[in-house]
Formats: sequence, C-alpha cells, structure tokens
Amino acid sequence: MADQADFERDAMEYARQLYSAALRMTRNPSDAEDLVQETYLKAYRAYHTFEAGTNLKAWLYRILTNTYINKYRKESRRPSEVDLGSVEDLYLYRRIGSEESAEVSRTTEDRVLDGLVESDIKAAVESLPENFRLPVLLADLEGFSYKEIAEILDVPIGTVMSRLHRGRKAMQKVLWEYAKTRGLLPEGAEMP
Amino acid sequence: MSHNDCETPDCDDALANLYEYLDSEMEDAEASQIREHLDDCSGCHSRFDFETRLRIVVRERLSEEVPPEFIARLRSALERETSTNG
Repeated sequence: MADQADFERDAMEYARQLYSAALRMTRNPSDAEDLVQETYLKAYRAYHTFEAGTNLKAWLYRILTNTYINKYRKESRRPSEVDLGSVEDLYLYRRIGSEESAEVSRTTEDRVLDGLVESDIKAAVESLPENFRLPVLLADLEGFSYKEIAEILDVPIGTVMSRLHRGRKAMQKVLWEYAKTRGLLPEGAEMP
Repeated sequence: MSHNDCETPDCDDALANLYEYLDSEMEDAEASQIREHLDDCSGCHSRFDFETRLRIVVRERLSEEVPPEFIARLRSALERETSTNG
C-alpha cells in the first residue's frame, strides 16, 4: 500500500498531462482545473488503497475519468447514437492521394499535416461523441495500452478497440473538412 | 505510385491490423510479419507512414501548457487537505 505522505511527490508529475486530457474532456479551462483538482484530492484521500509499484498514471486517469463522467458530463451515458460506422478506413490518406505520382501525394500529405493547426486538431477531438473521445484521448494523447484503457473506462478490450478505430476514422473525416477549408488541397482533390 | 492499389492477401492482413500494429498491440511474430510486408510493399508502407505521421501531429498539437498558477493552486489545495487530515 502506498504512503499518503508520498502522494505529492509521486503524483504531481502527472498534473500537466491530466490537465491536457481534462481540457479536452470539459472543453473549458476553468472546468478542467476544477476537474484535475478534484481528481487529486480524491486520489490523495484514497492513496492508502493504491498498491505501491503498480501503474499510478493509469490509476489517476481512472479517477479523472470517473469524476468527469459523474460530474461534468452533460451527455447521456447511453451509447452515442451518432453513426460513425460509415466512415471508411484510411479516410484522409485516400482523399489526399494523387493518381499521378508519389511525389505529388507526398507533397500534399506534408501540406495537410503541416497545415492543420492546433485548433483544428483540438476541435476534431472535441467533435467526437464522448464514448469515442475518451478512448482516442487515452490512446493518442496519453499513449495508454488497450488493456489500460479498458481498465480506466471499465469496458471490455474489444469495445476499446472498436471505439478507438471508429473514433479515429471520424476524426479524420473532420480533419479533412478543415484541410479543405484551409485550402491545403490541390485542385480537384475534393472529389474522392 | 504512392497510392497504388493494395489488393494482395498480405496487404489485406497488414491494413486490417494497421492500428494494432501502430499501437504496439501485436505479438512479436505477427508484428514482424507486417514489418516484412511493409519492406516489400510501397503502397502499404506509404499508408502506414501517413498514419504514423498523422498520430504524431495529433499528439503534438493536443498538448496544453498548464497555467503555472494552477499548479500552485493545486499544491496549496493538497496542503490544506494534508493539514486537515494530518
């Protein structure tokens, strides 16, 4: 069991990462700060139940996620009714590609990847229904494994994989729209 | 051709496992089969490369600067909690 006196030393190093995730969950800085603070206070009070030497980062994210779900989430807990299933694999890649040459494709890829700004990426993540947004954040921002995400969200690994897959595709669809708006694509690339 | 068709069974296998491969969720033997295929197939290689670069962009541009005064507030909230429990 972990010693409560060590909590600050052990846990504070994750505050920055938790804040980034909290901001994408709550979508505003003030709620993100409240969410992270509440997470740390809960974690401190429960630290004697944390098994020292196990995964502290995942434990903190589990508290963060549960606190968010119980307190801040305005959407219903029911699975999203938004149909993300119809987005094809490699959505962005397929649309960027040039029939003519690999160089043209590569140039367009570079222009899209360089040209999508922070606000585009953030808005794309925030546009995802929550059931998809949380696994995408935990995997793509935090680098958690499928097993860790399953434990943090308390869902089966198969569910994590399918939501991640569909969430990432849906995000690519939104990013494609931003790329078009920003004029990052060559003439005629709009039509797949 | 960067966007040439990938229609062999090996391509199907590789593309079906694209995310598991990039997420480092495959057994070593399976992952090395895919690695070998990517060495031989420029179409699949190009697809995997794009997805890899996209996820780096996503991760980099999602990170947030934490307001320094927030970290200070968080520490004092913890200290208050410690002293009331201490």
